[in-house]
Amino acid sequence: MSSFTKRLKRELDSLTTTQLSASLFILIFFLIVPLFYMVIRAFFHNGRLSSYYFQALLSDPNFVTYPPNLNFAYMSRTSLGTFLFVGNRGPDFGVLFNSLFVAITVTVFSILLGVTAAFIMARYEFLGKIFFRVVLLIPMLATPFVNAFVIGKVLGQNGLFNYVFHDILRLLPFKVQISGLPAVILIQTISFFPIVYLNALSSFISIDPSMEEQAETLGARGFKVFRSVTLPLALPGIAAGAAIVFIISLEDLGAPIGLSGAFGSGLHQKLISFYIYSEFIGGLGSVEQVHASTYALAVIMLAIAVAVFLSIKKYVTLRQYAMISKGGRFNPRIRKLGPLGLIAVYLFLLGLVITASFPQIGVVVLAMSDWAYNGLPVPTAFTPQFMSELVSEPDVLRSIMNSLTYSSMATILMLVVGVSAAYVIARRKIPGKDALDSLVTVPIAVPGIILAVGYLLFFATFFSGTPFDPFLNPGFLLIFTYTVRRIPFTARSVFAGLQQTHESLEEAALNLGANRWRTFATIAIPLIAANVIGGGLLSFVYSMNEVSTSITLSSLKPEQGPITFYMSQVIYSSGAVGTVSVAAALGVLLMSIQLVVMTVSNYLLKQRVAFLGV
Amino acid sequence: MVRVRLENVVKRFGEVTAVSGVSLDINHGEFFTVLGPSGCGKTTLLRIIAGLEHPDEGKIYFDDLDVTELPPYKRGTGMVFQNYALWPHMSVFDNIAYGLRVMKLPGDEVKRRVRKILELVKLVGMENRYPTQLSGGQQQRVALARALVIEPRILLLDEPLSNLDARLRIEMRTEIKRIQKELELTTIYVTHDQEEAMVMSDRLAVMNAGRIMQVGTPSEVYRRPKNLFVATFLGRCNILKGKVIGRHNDLVDVVVNGLKLRGVLTGKPLNEGDKAFCIIRPESFSVREGENLFRGTVEWISFAGSYTQILLKISDGRVITANVSSNFRAETGSEIKLYASSEDVLILHPEEEAMAYSKEL
Repeated sequence: MSSFTKRLKRELDSLTTTQLSASLFILIFFLIVPLFYMVIRAFFHNGRLSSYYFQALLSDPNFVTYPPNLNFAYMSRTSLGTFLFVGNRGPDFGVLFNSLFVAITVTVFSILLGVTAAFIMARYEFLGKIFFRVVLLIPMLATPFVNAFVIGKVLGQNGLFNYVFHDILRLLPFKVQISGLPAVILIQTISFFPIVYLNALSSFISIDPSMEEQAETLGARGFKVFRSVTLPLALPGIAAGAAIVFIISLEDLGAPIGLSGAFGSGLHQKLISFYIYSEFIGGLGSVEQVHASTYALAVIMLAIAVAVFLSIKKYVTLRQYAMISKGGRFNPRIRKLGPLGLIAVYLFLLGLVITASFPQIGVVVLAMSDWAYNGLPVPTAFTPQFMSELVSEPDVLRSIMNSLTYSSMATILMLVVGVSAAYVIARRKIPGKDALDSLVTVPIAVPGIILAVGYLLFFATFFSGTPFDPFLNPGFLLIFTYTVRRIPFTARSVFAGLQQTHESLEEAALNLGANRWRTFATIAIPLIAANVIGGGLLSFVYSMNEVSTSITLSSLKPEQGPITFYMSQVIYSSGAVGTVSVAAALGVLLMSIQLVVMTVSNYLLKQRVAFLGV
Repeated sequence: MVRVRLENVVKRFGEVTAVSGVSLDINHGEFFTVLGPSGCGKTTLLRIIAGLEHPDEGKIYFDDLDVTELPPYKRGTGMVFQNYALWPHMSVFDNIAYGLRVMKLPGDEVKRRVRKILELVKLVGMENRYPTQLSGGQQQRVALARALVIEPRILLLDEPLSNLDARLRIEMRTEIKRIQKELELTTIYVTHDQEEAMVMSDRLAVMNAGRIMQVGTPSEVYRRPKNLFVATFLGRCNILKGKVIGRHNDLVDVVVNGLKLRGVLTGKPLNEGDKAFCIIRPESFSVREGENLFRGTVEWISFAGSYTQILLKISDGRVITANVSSNFRAETGSEIKLYASSEDVLILHPEEEAMAYSKEL
């Protein structure tokens, strides 16, 4: 015992104590406690421990529809012509299973598209490859709601799709309208597949070519090599990307809200995330008005996300192959394609990039033309009006200022916490370090909307009337949701930097008489400066683009809303003509900031896929 | 100038015991080397002295001060790391000045002392370079200067020459030795290179599997190894197994497959009838008539410049290696006689067999 306390005393110098308590405080107080309180509330009914709310939820046909409606598509004549309606009436499994259905389908499609694209980019040489490499990153540019709105507009009854393929090219004998869950799946797939793509790409590139060559010398060829060597080696990276896609699909609000802007209400709203969102925007005056089923629903969603995250994490750590090849750098295996293969590759890539980057292009067009309100499938006139409203419209300007304030504060806070946690994890041998390590990773598995529910419940119950009251200061709380949600990525970026820096560099300073604070400030920090700045910039962009907590908590006090909240309001309530175009202009602003930051941080971190942070 | 004393130091990393019960006394101004194969715990021992690792058991004293609980930055040691650990974001001047600035010395004083130390390590004019712009040998000198400039109480060197090429290594070891003598610094040097250890050290400790196998001057350790590990680690050996048949003060008679040998007992005492190891280094053989006759046929003979190497097949079929004067000539297959002085035949207790590093020739 005494040797244990002595060891504690020795290891917990003032730097370590400060870093440890700062990171633990933020993570426990702003993550664990609110979620824990939410779980407790969900299991209490009339002051007693009970599964009442869960039973009520599962027996409600709105949440679990049985038998499910599987009417995927049907033909119908309307005043505008003969239509094939896809997703309008079904599939519908009820709120709970709709969310699962969407998340699983989006994950599967993202894996198929992402892995195929990554394999082509990693292993084949063809004309225009650099073009595709850049263009494949366009879908990563975040334009929440507006991208979905664009897709909705294109796929609508009077949309561009029908205009081109039915009216002009006459390829389709009837018009098509895609809405409901298929539309959500389409939008989420084209927005999220790049996550799998980038993970798979970096996995394929880091496979030592001699592994594949060895298989070939043993007689394996073509697909056999891919299936037996390449894919298994890349699988941990692909699985990690897929898990993230699953979780962000589960919590996504961009697609349902954007489609609501394009189509009004419909099956695309019958999702857990949207259900919880509608609780917030229904005009809450106090925490008592939140229906207890919301907690239960939030707990179910949290449980699904955490279960998926933990199983994938276990799988990935189990299969962390040490792929260190003997000797120095190697040239990845790159092959030329035959004429047939070349045609297939071009068709696949062109189809993919055109579809996937369409929303981003559409957002730019929306922002700079009359497309949003001319009632036609195509834009007819250029106008600078909406871009200029970014600086002239007081509401818009306020949302921009709010976003900048929250995001800068959050960036500072998450750098402090991220650097502290990463430094303790990388450098100190204190008991409980593993717990901190897991605690830092947990936020990946926590859907933002669940965090918002937890905050609302916890802070409104215990901190009413204080600066932490979500009804008084939702903006202040957003600083903490951004921080907590982004910490895994910030900490990992710093941790990677520390791993590349030999510990003896710090030991040399300690040896020369510098205490731990001085060593940290003069040796460790300058050596990982690129990672810290790069990580900070990306975290800033993340905060600017954050959707789920921004649009829920802000709805408790709209004047504190950030950019994404303003956009969601405009799209969701798309009443006044032209306002969608302002949301698009805000989308252009967000994309521009993201582009600048991606360029700067890629330069800093000298790593093409760095901005993903996954 | 400080005396360093280690008392029964133990360090475990999980299941592995890196240092198990090491006690050492290192004198004022002494150049003391810890020699051992990689993974023997010698670097851990050095890091414990620097305060970078904390021992699980035992005490460390600098003179009479118990420093076991003292953090590294309060110990006043100057350490040169194996990879030099030069800060890439600082110039040579800033690297060297770091420790002085930590001491809050005035700017002039810092400049003066950095200049002085640069002269000592022969790096004047390199102040504004960055570590990546220096050659390996220059980096090594900067690391040394950085450790020396703070006027440390103890200089700790962790295989500082292992990253240099052979010629530079020899040059630098003379340099380090010169500076150490000039400053009369208590120096602890860690290496796996036995030649380096012998050339540089006043005394050395041979370490294996976390334990000190023997401490002594280079010639003591080389000529009177206390066990088989020390004998084999410090040079090539012919190892013959035999039985004690008689004792005469320090000298012991052993019979090895009918071959009668007389040698010195260097390890634990032996009694008549005990099993024993006879260790003879190749260079201990001579063609000049003397004690301990080895008769055999030449299996292989090769000229190695400063000596001639013979592989001699002796009566029991065993082959021994002998390095004799380079002007000796013999035909392969011919019968020759070799002799070894009883001073050079080392008799060791067989219990060391288990610990043998096993470099049987």
